[in-house]
Amino acid sequence: MTVYLRQVAAIVRKDLLLEVRTGERLAAMGALTVLVAVLFHFAIDQGLVRMQLLAAGLIWMTILFGGMLGMGRTFEMEREQGAIQGLLTSPVPLDGIYLAKVVSNFVLVTLIEVVALAAYWLFFGFNYGNDPLLLAGVLGVATLGFVAVTTLFSAISAQTNMGQTLLPILIFPLLVPVVIFGVTATGRIFASRPVQEVEGSLYLLAAFTVVALTAGTILFRYVVEE
Amino acid sequence: MSLARIRWMATVLGVLGVAGVLVLHWLVFFWVGTERTMGIVQRIFYVHVPSAWVTFLAFGITALCGAAYLWLRDERLDWAAQSAAEGGLIFGAIMLTSGPLWAAYAWGTPWTWEPRLTLTLLMWFVFVGYFLVRASAEDRQAGKRMAAVIGVLGALLIPLVHVSVLWFPSLHPQPVVLNVEEGPTLDGDMLITLMTGLLAFTLIFFSVFCLRYGLEHLRYQRALALREQPRAT
Amino acid sequence: MPAAAAASRAGLPVLEAASLVRDYGPVRAVNQVSFRLGAGEFLSVFGPNGAGKTSLLRLLAGGLRPTSGEVRVSGIPLTVGDRAARARIGILSHLSFLYGRLTARENLRFYGRLHGLDDLDSRVPDRLADVGLERYADSPVDTLSRGTVQRLAVARALLHDPEIVLLDEPYTGLDAYAAAMLQELLSALKDGGRTVVMVTHNLGRGLEVADRVAIQVRGSFVFEAARTDLDAAGLERSYRRAVEGRA
Repeated sequence: MTVYLRQVAAIVRKDLLLEVRTGERLAAMGALTVLVAVLFHFAIDQGLVRMQLLAAGLIWMTILFGGMLGMGRTFEMEREQGAIQGLLTSPVPLDGIYLAKVVSNFVLVTLIEVVALAAYWLFFGFNYGNDPLLLAGVLGVATLGFVAVTTLFSAISAQTNMGQTLLPILIFPLLVPVVIFGVTATGRIFASRPVQEVEGSLYLLAAFTVVALTAGTILFRYVVEE
Repeated sequence: MSLARIRWMATVLGVLGVAGVLVLHWLVFFWVGTERTMGIVQRIFYVHVPSAWVTFLAFGITALCGAAYLWLRDERLDWAAQSAAEGGLIFGAIMLTSGPLWAAYAWGTPWTWEPRLTLTLLMWFVFVGYFLVRASAEDRQAGKRMAAVIGVLGALLIPLVHVSVLWFPSLHPQPVVLNVEEGPTLDGDMLITLMTGLLAFTLIFFSVFCLRYGLEHLRYQRALALREQPRAT
Repeated sequence: MPAAAAASRAGLPVLEAASLVRDYGPVRAVNQVSFRLGAGEFLSVFGPNGAGKTSLLRLLAGGLRPTSGEVRVSGIPLTVGDRAARARIGILSHLSFLYGRLTARENLRFYGRLHGLDDLDSRVPDRLADVGLERYADSPVDTLSRGTVQRLAVARALLHDPEIVLLDEPYTGLDAYAAAMLQELLSALKDGGRTVVMVTHNLGRGLEVADRVAIQVRGSFVFEAARTDLDAAGLERSYRRAVEGRA
């Protein structure tokens, strides 16, 4: 078990080190996040609509698009010089590779969420409610589910000649629960509603995340096995 | 199963299915009574519900055969999964066109974000993804495995998608046949018509399924023959 | 070389393929391949594109499950998903499996961690020295020449001291000087008592280092010989005959 965890940690560490060194994915994701916020400013007539009412939806859409942009490259970056074969033929169990990729993607998407929250606060003065802890919890659980699904499918899209073009078609139908409960829960937190009104969504998000993560861990081996 | 047997089954099922559809249309246009509140458009129901049923059936077969394929790696399971998925895509398209036609009249709006409608739309897109991945996979074998994974994951997550969409208020009629407490709430003639539709569509689906499966079988045999040929000469 | 050959005659085969068959749908990539290799033996497999050489190598690496037959490592059947057996196998390809933006040292340390090695502080510098790359230890891999990267890839493949080394077209993309350098490193493998299988198009290089050669066409081994029974011209003739005989 400890060997397993050390192997997973080695991959996470390598991914983050590469990210720190190149900044490729993070830069693209961050730029997209801020630019989407800028476009929303011009896309929505703020004389007709109060932006605060749309806050949760806008933020989640931004996270989905930004996250997908970066996560789509999870396995493409391993294919250069065949590194993915090095991973697949190493003693690391295949589910360990998946979990490591989920962890490193989770870190990236979490950073993007901070950028998104900051950008929307800066541009629109959004009010994020008075329970930051609960907000972090909801975002964390929902993000994990989002990342679990997207990481699995990025391994699929990387093995097709359509590449990242395919990714949204594959993941969006399955991510509907993340959007519904993510937006419902964060929307209520932004409105500073009592915890009881958020609980239901949080539990369903957790259920989705557990199913997605378990399924991904089991199914990943069939996606990359040769 | 031999190819001749599959072909024979496809023909029998096809003939029965087409006959069933003809009978269905006769029933729908000349026999069954008109529903009081929704009027004449309610008759679309007899096409809509059977196609929805077949779409769900196809989705189930695709997911089960996909899971079994991942486990056993028997090519025949992949042919079955693929054949069912193609049927699901077609009947899903029928369902998604007949539904809004009905709704536009009955509810006054062609599309509502009603749970079952949303669910079937999303399911249809999962099928689309299934075929896009098969078609664009760089390695054919990997394409089969990845498609199977999509089928299985779809079957696991779709119930959750359904539960989440249920969160929203609904316009869609409540179940009318499998209503456990009160028994079927349809009138006798309507029930007979609906059952005819379900039977006819299911027969047609399995006929198409067999044809499609037979085609894959044939392709496989051809590839095998090509492999053996040069050695013989 | 004679010492290694003697060892193999005496001991159990280290790597054994027993009637290996692999189908991709209707396509048969590997057809009834059998061989036994002892410690220190080097088998070169030649064959045209699409002959199933890479599939054979993947079967031997435990990365692909055979349709029938089995691979045995020291007499124990290798099963796909047996990740522990991976510790006994090293793989070198024409792709380096290295990360361009990481340094030579970081790459080796990464692979060392995947193999669960815990003496990396001493092992990594040693192995860099073995392939003559101490001074490039802290250079990012994408600043190194193709030949240098391939030497580093050799160090990567041997980092965990595998008994079996599988080589997949290792000469592709190397200039003459780099290829000669690699040749030396590969010759050293045998002396280290490792069992090696190499698949390649390069008849000359492949013959030079091998103890045994085989030609694979349409999945099957259609020709097998010991190095001692063969010269370059003889191999060339056999190769042409085998490949053209496939219709």
